[in-house]
Amino acid sequence: MTEQVEVVVIGAGFAGIGLGIRLKRRGFDSFVVLERAHDVGGTWRDNTYPGVACDVPAHLYSYSFRLNPNWSAVQAPGAEIWQYLRDGVREEGVTEHVRLNTEVTAARWDESSARWQVETSNGSWSAKFVVTACGHLSDTRLPDIEGLDAFAGELFHTARWNHGVPLEGKRVGLVGTGASAVQVLPELQRVAAEVVVFQRSAPYFFVPSGRRPEFSAAQKRLFARYPAAMRELRSEVFWYSEGNFPARVRVPALLERARNASLRYLESAVTDPELRAKLTPDYEIGCKRILGPGRYYASMVQDNVTLEASALSRIEGSTAHSAGGAAFDLDVLVFATGFDATEPRFATLIRGRDGSTLAESWSDGMKSTASISTPGFPNLFITNGANTSLGHNSSVYIIESQIDYILSALDYVDATGVAFVEATPEGEHAYVDDLARRSEGSVWLSGGCHNWYVDPRTQTLTVTWPDFAYQFREENSRFDPASYHLATRE
Amino acid sequence: MTALARELDQGVIDVGGASVRWFAAGATSGPLPPVVLIHGTGGSTEGHFSFVFPMLARTQRVISVDLAPPPGNAELTVDDLERQVAAVVDREAPTGPVSVLGYSLGAVVAASYAAHHADRVQNLVLVAGWITTDTQQLLRQDVQQQLRGGDPVAFKKLSLLLAFGVPFLAKRSFDELATVAPPPSGTPEFLARLASLNRRIDIADEVAAIRAVTLVIGCTHDLMVPRHHSLALFGAIEDARYLELSSGHALVFERPAELHLAVRTFLSQPSRHPAGTVIPAEQP
Repeated sequence: MTEQVEVVVIGAGFAGIGLGIRLKRRGFDSFVVLERAHDVGGTWRDNTYPGVACDVPAHLYSYSFRLNPNWSAVQAPGAEIWQYLRDGVREEGVTEHVRLNTEVTAARWDESSARWQVETSNGSWSAKFVVTACGHLSDTRLPDIEGLDAFAGELFHTARWNHGVPLEGKRVGLVGTGASAVQVLPELQRVAAEVVVFQRSAPYFFVPSGRRPEFSAAQKRLFARYPAAMRELRSEVFWYSEGNFPARVRVPALLERARNASLRYLESAVTDPELRAKLTPDYEIGCKRILGPGRYYASMVQDNVTLEASALSRIEGSTAHSAGGAAFDLDVLVFATGFDATEPRFATLIRGRDGSTLAESWSDGMKSTASISTPGFPNLFITNGANTSLGHNSSVYIIESQIDYILSALDYVDATGVAFVEATPEGEHAYVDDLARRSEGSVWLSGGCHNWYVDPRTQTLTVTWPDFAYQFREENSRFDPASYHLATRE
Repeated sequence: MTALARELDQGVIDVGGASVRWFAAGATSGPLPPVVLIHGTGGSTEGHFSFVFPMLARTQRVISVDLAPPPGNAELTVDDLERQVAAVVDREAPTGPVSVLGYSLGAVVAASYAAHHADRVQNLVLVAGWITTDTQQLLRQDVQQQLRGGDPVAFKKLSLLLAFGVPFLAKRSFDELATVAPPPSGTPEFLARLASLNRRIDIADEVAAIRAVTLVIGCTHDLMVPRHHSLALFGAIEDARYLELSSGHALVFERPAELHLAVRTFLSQPSRHPAGTVIPAEQP
């Protein structure tokens, strides 16, 4: 049996839940949120590795329409963010719209009815609109390494942490040096006998502010009693973060200032010249994500941590070989190797007007109009898709802008009575060309690193939004009928 | 020499004996008129616009003027500085409309220039500017002047206290404050002449004659040019809209990104908000 709704939302992470809450607040009930996992929460449900936290300050990395006075720390622990999202679903009445353990297997545009047919592991839906809210950081990536299948020990990805594997006294290999790796290393160092970090390239860090990382009981009570103080903090953090954007497009003085500050921090934290040399990045700052400092360097200098400044290349039994020729006997391998952001898996499931998939449409990289629509896929809104990621500010701000866009599109269709809206090829070309111009010369494209923002097939910046976060909202938070074909009813 | 922007035009022109440095960057062909930036007392293009100049240059032509001392010791006037702006505009954008942005004393110069060149100045942004120096400012300047000669350490601390907003200062360490702004530009003699000019500002007649589409930006926590001055400009200029940002006078250092985006947004569509609008600040 096929259930009829106005809107199907795929994914119950920050974007899907946020849209659900906003729809409910408008008194709109004809929607479902389909979630393949056992619970809501997206990346904050999936990532339970020791030390997991958000390196964007919590008062900014949260919904503007659901401020939380009780964040325990500037960098909130992952479990706290997960709970925040679950509370949002429950308190806003979204629970009854969420379908858990419901994995979308296909979504197809039906031309004759001008509706989407969505098939799942747990029923079928017919919807006027489909919104994908699958996130950038949902499909884990494991490197293709010889002998990995036959590894004698335990192995898992940081986003699929196996809490059944004790690490006390074990020899642990940590593969990768991105945002997850730098948070998990201090925890591994504390309990494991030995940790080997396989580093392809060294990360840059923000300089610690020196301010107290936890919020006191008095501060939290002030936020509860006087929410304007929370709003002011949110604004401060937002505009401070926006201030880091010019370095990404290589404004010389600001790029130099950012690089020098980060290298000075390394110098002060690591005195051994050999280790410091290995920890010095060989690319321009900002080309890869700049990470929250935490206790990474402090852990790295401990006796039971070895930094292998080359990639993991081969496994033989329980021995891990690096590209640099070193060999380590290990009990556990932890892969902090990130996610598939440039080729999202949901794109293979969605078939548009001519029957081909979104992945086929994106075979030369993700592209869009307004970072949310693409020709051939009427009434489909893709959040966290092409050019929506930020290297310098909170993704929740982008998500809220996209929610505003979707709501204004629904309003438009409702008010005008058009059958469907579909992005025009001309509009998409203009948008893609414009963003290519803004990306020119940026550190992401010319910073001398491999990052997950650039599509390896075309060397085009398809994941990152190449401008200020504010500018995204300025341009992409209101449905613009001029970029669409507006189909009238027969 | 300068790290202001990647592709930069610059030069020095003589204006009545003053050597005026100018900078320009950004595409010369484009839908938006060039914008001319005028810094405040103790500033320069690099000092006050190291963020705004290169970032605006990504979307349009930007020209800036480094105000310079005229020869001799004669009392400095708004007119002296305005002529320097006019000379740079005539050289770098000899015809067609321009937008002008002034910050602090630069806003006074910009307002006066806009009044006298109504045919050229299409859009105007006045950041922490004022019309008439008042007693609160004179009192502040008196104390600054006494300390400048007598107690340089106290003078420096007072300058921080006055320039930055209370909330901004409260959250920073002394080490952070030491690097947050560059030292003032200009010789002590020129700074003294500018300080003297700051005491004598009265451009009420000029402001009444401004016809440009104007954005007035006031700073909530400003102690040097308190927000009532920006409100006075909002009332006095016919086609003005008002935006207030949560900052002290040192907006260019406290909230450079917010300033930049407010200006970029305004210049992209100056009349989006009708005259008289109080534009709400962005609520992220």
